[in-house]
Amino acid sequence: MKSHMKKQSFITRITNPKYIMVYATIGIFFVIYGFGAFLYGDKGFTTIRTFVNLFIDNAYFGISAVGMTMVLITGGIDLSVGAVASLTGMFIAYGTSVLNLHPLVCIFAALVMGVGLGLLMGCVIHYLNVPPFITTLTGMFFARGVCSLISRESIDIKHPFIDSLASWKIYLMKYSEGSWVKIKPIAFINFNVILFIIMIIIGTYILQKTRFGRNIYAIGGNEQSASLMGLPVGRTKVLVYGFNGLCSVLAGISYALYVKSGWNLSLQGGELEVITCAVIGGTLLTGGVGYMIGTLFGVLLKSVIPALITFNGNLLSWWGKIATGLLLLLFICIQRFVVTSSSKRK
Amino acid sequence: MAKKNFVLSGLMQSKVTWAVIAELLILMVCFMIRPDFFSISYQPSTGMLYGSLIDIINRSAEITIISMGMTLVIALGGTDLSVGALVAVAGAIALKFLRWDVLTYTTPGDYTVCPYILVLTIPLIVCALMGLFNGFLVAKGGIQPIIATLILMVCGRGVAQILTDGKQFTTGYSPFRIIGQGSFLYLPMPIIITIVVVIAVALFTRKTAFGAFVESVGVNPSASRLSGIKADKIILIVFLITGLLSGIAGLIYSSRIMSNDSNNAGLNFEMDAILAVVIGGTNMSGGKFSLAGTVVGSLIIRTIVTFVYYFGIVAEATMAFKALIIAVVIILQSEPVRKYFAKRSRVREAVLISGGER
Repeated sequence: MKSHMKKQSFITRITNPKYIMVYATIGIFFVIYGFGAFLYGDKGFTTIRTFVNLFIDNAYFGISAVGMTMVLITGGIDLSVGAVASLTGMFIAYGTSVLNLHPLVCIFAALVMGVGLGLLMGCVIHYLNVPPFITTLTGMFFARGVCSLISRESIDIKHPFIDSLASWKIYLMKYSEGSWVKIKPIAFINFNVILFIIMIIIGTYILQKTRFGRNIYAIGGNEQSASLMGLPVGRTKVLVYGFNGLCSVLAGISYALYVKSGWNLSLQGGELEVITCAVIGGTLLTGGVGYMIGTLFGVLLKSVIPALITFNGNLLSWWGKIATGLLLLLFICIQRFVVTSSSKRK
Repeated sequence: MAKKNFVLSGLMQSKVTWAVIAELLILMVCFMIRPDFFSISYQPSTGMLYGSLIDIINRSAEITIISMGMTLVIALGGTDLSVGALVAVAGAIALKFLRWDVLTYTTPGDYTVCPYILVLTIPLIVCALMGLFNGFLVAKGGIQPIIATLILMVCGRGVAQILTDGKQFTTGYSPFRIIGQGSFLYLPMPIIITIVVVIAVALFTRKTAFGAFVESVGVNPSASRLSGIKADKIILIVFLITGLLSGIAGLIYSSRIMSNDSNNAGLNFEMDAILAVVIGGTNMSGGKFSLAGTVVGSLIIRTIVTFVYYFGIVAEATMAFKALIIAVVIILQSEPVRKYFAKRSRVREAVLISGGER
């Protein structure tokens, strides 16, 4: 395959029209960021700390969005992620506080639960032909219900292991006058941010460099053709939902570290926020199109709006929801435009 | 004998049958746990009938009403995620008109600031327009319904909150109370409204060609366009109806609590409505739809909730049981399983027929 593919120059490769959506996301992110810098630059909007906080405050959405992007590329959808993440937090909280287990045991149990549920949903979707929307909706109800069965009240997580993991941080340093000092205002990255970045890298690697990733795109493009080509459609789909389960659990761990408690109603509606991130990152819900880098900027774009509202200080936080909705509308229109113009070119 | 078997296998393959069987089974179990489950008593003070069955139908009113519209949307091959948010919007507008400004009219009471006719009509008009907006994106913009309606789902609650300045208003206006808590012909008002809506939608789709148009657009939009059906117009009307019905459900919901609760009003209603439709036997890929099935589906969802209450399990945990029962119903309805049953009964028929000939 490689032998007869013309070696493309770097320039032609990055100007490929299939990346238009990703560029649109990145562009609009910088426009909004620039807008914030213009309005609130004097209040500290442009500091590294504000920028890093975008990652810290939204790492759990980002981690989940990695798996969601893959599911959406196969042409599916997973509504269970918020509930599974919430259940993970509940496992950790209940396990450490009530059952006196080590958090790692709880995390292991959560991983088994999350990945198992993901694989099971994948099997139901592929082998029983039940629409992904309905299957994962049932999964969401199940996870949310189990969460409430465990406890209806919020449980604080108090365990030295979790505390040390949550408070572990790397301060961003700069070199000045012969020694390394912390930058002012102090900015740091924590475990969640690193996990988020690692997951994005893993996701990019899987999608772009592995056979599994190519199968995902092929299935999203046209499932029938993919199966006629002899690609392992069933296995790929089941594994994608399993991987998404893994991402949901990791997102749940990250959220538990962020809020240090488990609550049965936490992250309600989180699944749609995650899907929104992926869609404004350029992933098509019809499948076949999507990039991890787009999702990364989709998460940043979605998180810069609440940051702007916080800096404004006078607006109700609900304007954030409306702004996100408008952003979604804008992106859908751009996508629509790109799709029609590219089909005309053909 | 053989003919009887054909009818039976036809019934076994029909998804609605499974839904009815599931509902009856759940009701049976309820009856076994609580023998007084089916008893209905008359309360002279309120002029209403009381009983678990009445309660199930009463409480399922909002979902049944919304899922009437949802059935049509799903028959078109789409889904409407915005209905829950529209329920919140309708409640917020109604309460805004009833109270207008909590600073001028500080205590809730038996009054309305704006004319009552506006309280009832404006929420419905706004919700219908929002539905039309969804329909416009889908029909004219060619956007997938699930994304088109995601927009209003995301910002609908925001709109509802901003309309009421993020506050929760309460009211004591008695004509408004009638919608959710009043009674008519011994039945709670929501049941009456539901019956009217179901009959209206059924007449509109089955006594005119509209239902057939919806099904044909759902199966193949371009083929139906070629055969002279204005697919765009059908889509716009269907989303408009769904928006309007969400508005009605929103009025019932806010009248039950006599308040607007933009955070929780209609929460997960879109999910419940879609489930009701799917359990009722309408395929998510579009095409044939069954309004009767949807009503049964909506009743199943509410019966499960009641059923779980009887076991004394906490309210929030109902979701787990809902999930398990729905999983069973959906797996039984899934294509491979139904094919398996159909094959088995066909084999039996073949044996019977060949046996008869000999």
